[in-house]
Amino acid sequence: MDKIIELKNITKSYDRQVVLDDISLDIYDNEFITLLGPSGCGKTTTLRLIGGFETPDSGEILFGGQRINDVPPHKRNVNTVFQRYALFPHLNVFENVAFPLRERKTPREEIDQRVEEMLSMVALKGFEHRAVTSLSGGQQQRVAIARALVGRPKVLLLDEPLAALDLKLRKDMQQELKNIQKATGITFIFVTHDQEEALSMSDTVVVMSEGRIQQIGTGQDVYNEPKNAFVADFIGESNIVDGVMLKDKLVSFSGHTFDCVDGGFEPNEPVDVVVRPEDVDIVSVDKGMLRGVVTSVTFMGVHYEVIVDIGGFKWMIQTTDFVDVDERIGLYIEPDAIHIMKKSEYSGLYGDYASFSNEFDELSDAESEEEA
Amino acid sequence: MKRASKVFTFLMFAFLFAPLVILLVFSFNEARSLSVFSGFSLKWYKELFRDTETLKTVRNTLVLAVCAAGVSTVMGTAAAVAIDRMRSKYLRSALDMVTNIPMINPDIITGISMMLMFVFASHLFGLANSLNFVTLLIAHITFCLPYVILQVLPRLRQMDKSLPEAALDLGCTPWGAFWKVELPEIMPAVVTGMIMAFTLSLDDFVISYFTTGTGFQTLPIRIYNMTKKTVTPKMYALATIIFFVILALLLVSNLTDSEDSQRLRAARKAKRAAAGKPPMDPRKQRFLYAGGGCLALAALVAALIFTVTETDNKPQVLNVYNWGEYISDGSEGSMDVVKEFEKWYEEEYGRPVQVNYETFASNEDMYAKLSKNAISYDVIIPSDYMIARMIDEDMLLPLDFDNIPNYEHIAKDFHGLYYDPEDMYSVPYAYGVVGVIYNANVVDEADAGSWDLMWNEKYAGNILQFNNSRDAFGTAMYRAGLDVNTDDRSQWEAALQDLLAQRPLVKSYVMDEIYNMMESGEGAIAAYYAGDYFTMLDAQAENVDLRFYYPERTNFYIDAMCIPSCCQNKELAEIFINYMLSAEPAIANAEYTWYASPNDLVYTDEGYIEEMGEEAMEVLYPDWGDFSEQYNAYAYRNLDPDLLDYINSLWETLKIN
Repeated sequence: MDKIIELKNITKSYDRQVVLDDISLDIYDNEFITLLGPSGCGKTTTLRLIGGFETPDSGEILFGGQRINDVPPHKRNVNTVFQRYALFPHLNVFENVAFPLRERKTPREEIDQRVEEMLSMVALKGFEHRAVTSLSGGQQQRVAIARALVGRPKVLLLDEPLAALDLKLRKDMQQELKNIQKATGITFIFVTHDQEEALSMSDTVVVMSEGRIQQIGTGQDVYNEPKNAFVADFIGESNIVDGVMLKDKLVSFSGHTFDCVDGGFEPNEPVDVVVRPEDVDIVSVDKGMLRGVVTSVTFMGVHYEVIVDIGGFKWMIQTTDFVDVDERIGLYIEPDAIHIMKKSEYSGLYGDYASFSNEFDELSDAESEEEA
Repeated sequence: MKRASKVFTFLMFAFLFAPLVILLVFSFNEARSLSVFSGFSLKWYKELFRDTETLKTVRNTLVLAVCAAGVSTVMGTAAAVAIDRMRSKYLRSALDMVTNIPMINPDIITGISMMLMFVFASHLFGLANSLNFVTLLIAHITFCLPYVILQVLPRLRQMDKSLPEAALDLGCTPWGAFWKVELPEIMPAVVTGMIMAFTLSLDDFVISYFTTGTGFQTLPIRIYNMTKKTVTPKMYALATIIFFVILALLLVSNLTDSEDSQRLRAARKAKRAAAGKPPMDPRKQRFLYAGGGCLALAALVAALIFTVTETDNKPQVLNVYNWGEYISDGSEGSMDVVKEFEKWYEEEYGRPVQVNYETFASNEDMYAKLSKNAISYDVIIPSDYMIARMIDEDMLLPLDFDNIPNYEHIAKDFHGLYYDPEDMYSVPYAYGVVGVIYNANVVDEADAGSWDLMWNEKYAGNILQFNNSRDAFGTAMYRAGLDVNTDDRSQWEAALQDLLAQRPLVKSYVMDEIYNMMESGEGAIAAYYAGDYFTMLDAQAENVDLRFYYPERTNFYIDAMCIPSCCQNKELAEIFINYMLSAEPAIANAEYTWYASPNDLVYTDEGYIEEMGEEAMEVLYPDWGDFSEQYNAYAYRNLDPDLLDYINSLWETLKIN
């Protein structure tokens, strides 16, 4: 696959506050790539740099090998789907979609044909003469997508396009976007703070935090092999504990020595150990590799979420077996469920569920959505 | 509680709209009076459309309002966009405040400062006429601008900032994004701002008053200048028409602004679609809009060029500055003296001339305008004491009487009067004498005849006294045989005692209200000018019988035609003065104004005598004996400013006690 966009050592700051700190990223033709991170991580700024609405303080943006730092947005072969759609209220659905074609003085017959084509792709045939303000959120979103695609850009930028939709609609649109991307073969650069959305849609996920790229990889890579505590915590749920790599494939944490599958560390190197909550089995106390007391149990539908206190460190376990609060249980972990990471600046910040509650989680989610 | 709030709402609307309703009703009144509705008539509307001078000021006002609204809308929108795009928060709020200042600033300060600036600038660049249409336009644009910004800026702030970005993203240039996306988005605010600017410019009086110059008078100024001689009902007609035009504008702006209109447009489109017609191509639509815009602009420019050429291209212009309602103007079948002069001049001299006829409301107003050197007039018609002052200050030019042969018709009585003892600077135009008007149904005729009637206790509560110090003191001083021009303060003090004694008898102190109060019988005794007595007589109610007499000593005034030193074409001005003295225009003016004429072509004319009637001739032209002796003895003269201050302080004690 060919590189279509290359970001080389991009730095950007507003009012002396660094938003992007030396970012480098290659984006390939035909790829569905997602920039994932909490609000303020620089993902939207990255998108705006590619769209041409911002210029980097230093570094280079290449498009098909050409430097485009100073090319204005209207001369870039890139289109954007904005978070709040940005449909033109004074134009109807047809005219919104036809807008970029009219800008290019496309012949009228061709405009009619291409707009119809786009509207049928996003399932809005028959809505041509409706006012955009009379459409539902999902319909408006589809008009925005049709408008951005009708000019056949090389790259489509999507800035949290689904954030304003409700859950059910969001799931449908995720599928639809994926289908559209496959059908058109256009490179999609998708920005979101929703890790589930990122994992389910993307070929490549770019995890960002504090203006830096933390990890680039497929959804499975970043989930199964997180590079540091931030990625492990941000993508899915993780128990992250301090450990020591005794030697290859042997790690010690929480006062017990485990077999694992990772290697390549110095002998006795301190490491971060990640264990996903769904990978922990509950067994009787005497069979357990670790032992602890259940402090809370929450019914989640498919499974229970169990918080277990093991020597003062709270673990989260997702299980279909029912246990009682205050029950003493044993835990069993398969060697391939243990993921070892090098120590990083994020070590110790994440992975303890001591202060965890569902409400708290939802609260912080809502906040980040608002900020975005 | 509910009922109380309903009543309150009703009262509020009644207070808001009662004046308008009265105006509307009386614009259809057959008679001139404001107290009696004598029958429905469209007469005043007809009169209005015959009054070319007023229509000209209407056109001036409209041209000015359209230009001011257009320019301030474009500039204001541009400014709002610029302010909105500023990155610095502090600069933005500072600019916000600065644009608001002219709105909070009293008009009078804006007006005076503008005038000073224009006069100063023109002195700097050595221009002759510092005030003209352009200065007026600049002033109007200046005070309209903040209102446009105030409308547009919040709309811009509300706008989703990603809209223009989306346009850029979809291939628009930044300029194109503004035209195609941002402008349509803020359009309702722009239109509202424009309509606001238009109406503000339309009704501005204060600022216009200070910044307008020769050759361009606006309607509010003309109406203000009429108030000196009572506003004619055709102004009610005009006000009614303006009210409805503004109402229509308001409705249009509200409709375009509302969601309804968008739905309406959508419905129209749906109808087109249902009829099998394709939706209108937006390019065609844009073309239509652009076409409409161009057409409106072209009309505007044409109107502008029309007005400008009318004042500038013609070789000869004569600027006349007179009192409001003080010349026969063609209404009610009279002679249009200005038009007739233009016609006569072209026949006589084979060259066209254009007369700019403008009006003032008081001698002091006129003096203020002329003394700033801000404007130039060729002929002015001030009153006697002002002429004396202007001669003193070298503001008048000596006349060349070879160009004014008709001067021989001015009666001997009017030669050698105090204000122009050698008859070098002025040609009398009209004169008036103060007499006492009374209602014979209330007042016993035996009591009439002297100033004592105004102090007669029998008529307590029926007496009206002047509400201005000079005239009120005059009545007391004439009665006591004192000199109304004395600088002996004890005499003024004595007069004050008389006025204090009169106070309990006085119904009220009045100026223009005298017309309605006397016509309706509310007041029965008042002192006023003979000419104005006939106006009241014309409109008196059925149970009122007004009579008039001259008391023993009384005030005279003479208004005379003069040429100010700023005159641009003295010979033409003299030709105009001479024309005004010839029989036809002089008689027309005397018949129109009902003031006495010093011209023997007038008062000996049989047609005029017949037209005025015997009673009027007796009142207007009584046997004065030695007119000039009486005039020189009793007419008000210019007083020392210190003395005037003193008299005013006495007047205040009378009014406060």
